[in-house]
Amino acid sequence: MKGSLLFTPVLVLFVFAHLLLRVGFGVGDAAPDLLTVALLLSARELRGGQAAGLGFFFGLLEDAFSILSFGANALTLVVLALLGSKTRDLLVSETPTFLLAYLTVGVWLRGVIHWVLAAGDVRASPSMVLVVEAPVVAIYSAGTAILVLMMLGLVRRGAQE
Amino acid sequence: MRPLDVDGSARRVRRDRFWTVFWLVGAVVLLLLPLSAQQGISTVLRSTVLAPFLWVQASLQQGQLRATELDDVRAQLDEALVRLVSLNTLQLENQELRALMDLRDRLSIPFVAASAIRPGTRGSESLLMLDVGIQDGVSVGDPVISAEGLLGVVREVGPTNSLALDWTHPDFAVSVMTEGLGVGGIVEAFRGSFREEDRLLLKGVAYYEPVEVGELLVTSGLGAFYPRGIPVGWVEEEATSDAGWQRRFWVRPRAAVERVTHVVVLIRGGEAVGVDLAPVWTLPPPEDPEAEGSDEEPMDSAEGRQP
Repeated sequence: MKGSLLFTPVLVLFVFAHLLLRVGFGVGDAAPDLLTVALLLSARELRGGQAAGLGFFFGLLEDAFSILSFGANALTLVVLALLGSKTRDLLVSETPTFLLAYLTVGVWLRGVIHWVLAAGDVRASPSMVLVVEAPVVAIYSAGTAILVLMMLGLVRRGAQE
Repeated sequence: MRPLDVDGSARRVRRDRFWTVFWLVGAVVLLLLPLSAQQGISTVLRSTVLAPFLWVQASLQQGQLRATELDDVRAQLDEALVRLVSLNTLQLENQELRALMDLRDRLSIPFVAASAIRPGTRGSESLLMLDVGIQDGVSVGDPVISAEGLLGVVREVGPTNSLALDWTHPDFAVSVMTEGLGVGGIVEAFRGSFREEDRLLLKGVAYYEPVEVGELLVTSGLGAFYPRGIPVGWVEEEATSDAGWQRRFWVRPRAAVERVTHVVVLIRGGEAVGVDLAPVWTLPPPEDPEAEGSDEEPMDSAEGRQP
């Protein structure tokens, strides 16, 4: 996937679309979490330190609007980027099914880690976040991303395992 | 003797480890920074990298406002058609603006009008981004009100914008009193399982104090931020109380935070604490939930839940 010339522009597009939808258009959680998707995809192509730096920057962008849990997004995305970077050594598949599973688990994990790190006053009930909200956001975000990647030809159905 | 690092891979691994630890520690430090430093960083980010996206949101709101004005013209041309249209979003916004304009005419203390937008990112729930800041005279602690009553309070201020908590935020608390007998207490936000269940809780009412269901609560003017007399909400029902000499009541808030787009910030609110703003609001009596239809879900869906 990285070999494609479109890879980096698509990741930038994901970040831009995330901020435009969530902040610019004020859609909030109704928009997919494309920032995390972009981080997870790039983490598989970067070294741990570089991925962590990217996660730190993305997290800061999200933290700019939070008061009680400032820093929680940054730490969450740094940890997630490191985990994503590690998966490259363990799992090498690039099939749509694998990417869908990878992104779904990644985005869900982002919700879980953020819930753990957020200040107690801010976070909602665990059952609500971990069982309902985070899985729905994860499936929605991963599905949207895979659809876009397939439409742009960055992921193909018959890709090599 | 150390092995030769011919291709530089060992050095790359060491460098990578350094940066990994660096960013991890950096993120932890962010989490532990004092509030003022955190606010400084977020203000810089909002006024640089995120500024274009905030500009888009503000522009969209302006566009919505212009669409409202256009709709007003259309409404004059085709009044009959407009009457067929039930209350829609634009009409609500129009009503909100008109009510705010009425309110502004009656306010006796300095204020500034602002557009309110929702940041929409994770962790920014219950926060409003206002397009007024230090340059407009806004400072931390200034009350944010709508035509309906108290909405929240300014928490962070930048040069041209500011961040305010609305009444659903866990940090929100205000000293109130009943309009009639002046029974006092503290109103705090109580977060429900769903955001629609968020409401207010009146605490610290002595057992012997008479508090009637349906009574209006207004700010008492005690404390450093809120002038006296801003409507907060109506007493809805008594909440389950802990053992002790105090009672608690669920409060139905007057100001609806979910559809707010324009607000008024009372600048130097703290200096106006002695002012009584009660005459500013002419309030209709609370709606009778039973009169609204028997099929509607009652407001006390969290009945019996221990806050």
